[in-house]
Amino acid sequence: MREIVIIGAGIHRFGRFDDESYIQIGQEAARKALQDAGVAWKDIQSAYVSTQYLPSTVGPKILKPFGATGIPIMDMESACASGGSTLRQGMLSIASGAIDIALVLGVEKMPRGYMDPLQIYYPWQVDMGLSTNPSYWAMRARRHMHEYGTTEEHIAKIAFKNHKNSVHNPNAMYRKEFSMEQIQTSKLVCDPIRLLEICAPNEGAAAVVICAREAAQKYTSNPPITIAACVHTLAGYSADFRCPVDSLSAKVNNPGPTEVTSKKAYEMAGIGPQDVDCFEVQDTDAFCELEIYEQLGLCPFGEAGRLIDEGVTEIDGKHPVNMSGGLISKGEPVGASHLGQVYELVTQLRGNAGPRQVPNVRTALGQVLGASGNCAVTILKK
Amino acid sequence: MDRLSNAVPVGEGLLTTPLSPAENVRINGSRCSECGEVMLGSYKSCANCGGESMQQIPLGKRGKVWTYTVIRHQPPGQYRGPKDPFVPFAEGLVELPEGIRVVSALDCDLEKVHIGMEVELVVYELYQNEQGQPVMAFKFKAV
Repeated sequence: MREIVIIGAGIHRFGRFDDESYIQIGQEAARKALQDAGVAWKDIQSAYVSTQYLPSTVGPKILKPFGATGIPIMDMESACASGGSTLRQGMLSIASGAIDIALVLGVEKMPRGYMDPLQIYYPWQVDMGLSTNPSYWAMRARRHMHEYGTTEEHIAKIAFKNHKNSVHNPNAMYRKEFSMEQIQTSKLVCDPIRLLEICAPNEGAAAVVICAREAAQKYTSNPPITIAACVHTLAGYSADFRCPVDSLSAKVNNPGPTEVTSKKAYEMAGIGPQDVDCFEVQDTDAFCELEIYEQLGLCPFGEAGRLIDEGVTEIDGKHPVNMSGGLISKGEPVGASHLGQVYELVTQLRGNAGPRQVPNVRTALGQVLGASGNCAVTILKK
Repeated sequence: MDRLSNAVPVGEGLLTTPLSPAENVRINGSRCSECGEVMLGSYKSCANCGGESMQQIPLGKRGKVWTYTVIRHQPPGQYRGPKDPFVPFAEGLVELPEGIRVVSALDCDLEKVHIGMEVELVVYELYQNEQGQPVMAFKFKAV
């Protein structure tokens, strides 16, 4: 298979932008990615656009104004993993030899407040009041606490770390440090998960220009960053317990989607979790990040609490996680979320992350997970 | 006349019929004749093994709470429970004897809800639809 590289990356800050349409937001990220690569729009041979909450033909609306060059521009969606599945499609078209260079863009502008539950739940679940997303995260957390002795303090420590990291990320929505006490006394959303421990839906965009390695020199003088793996999977039977499930098997115990997807990605990249220098992961809620440590293989099952206690996942720890501040600080513009992670990882690999820079990053991993057990893991290498 | 005689289930295929009397109604399950897995509601194929021989079974009435949380704010969308004021409730996964854990509202003291708590099925009228029919739903009550 042809090796595929990132030659440019761009972002539109994540947050709330009442004065900007999704077209302006998307165009900013796309323009920046093209400029960063030094590639003209007319050189792009295909574009893939990730979005969940926007109407039809979002990609054409954003990109055709750059010049109606006639290339295919496709909208794609896989819940919170949309950015991963979209990046993968762009890669496949290059790998097949059909094209050499593509633009991959994620963009979102979500309604304020709760997302419309009918997007992911059956109407009867909404009628019965079983449609509060954080309640599913909370039930997972409660079970983990019961089985492994994980504590509310462990969960709060994740939020503390990510809020602390966000202070140095100009692209995050919230850039404020909170004390453990502020976190642990913030409003209870669904026991044991609190307000300062969950992410908000919002707006933003991120984009990358990808091409075949052998073609990179033709397009750019940037040192190319290799996409060593980009895997998208759906959870196996009863393997994922998050919104919106209505039941689970009590007999079948299949591995979770992050475990399955990351294993495939490590294999494809020819590395293990210990070889990854830094991670950006789906901290939809603070507990979720703990569980992901285990599923990514950073520690045995049940030991994630120890990892955060020992500072292993701090920026100056052995396995830094969510240097950007994570979704808890950035917010989650669903379609843009994974490409936002990729943007952060490219910044880290280039050594341009300023005070949140992890020293000597050579390998970096991004992970997202959402509705229907959609999971994507991307591994980048310098 | 029995006021539940024209009742409908909150979701198609979720509950056994007839819906009256309510105390005889159970949650519907589908059991795969090939792998034995049981799923909530009415299915024609098995998501575990792909088998196409599914048998409808009523799920057991008694179960145990496997995990839980408390819903403290009114859920989003067209919630049909009490809204004015909203009454906080526990939500949990209830493990039933058929080897399935079902997401459900829990009718219990919010201070006393715990993993392992014994609960029993209650089928009740959640609301009246536009045709004036009682719409039946389920929850589990502490015993």
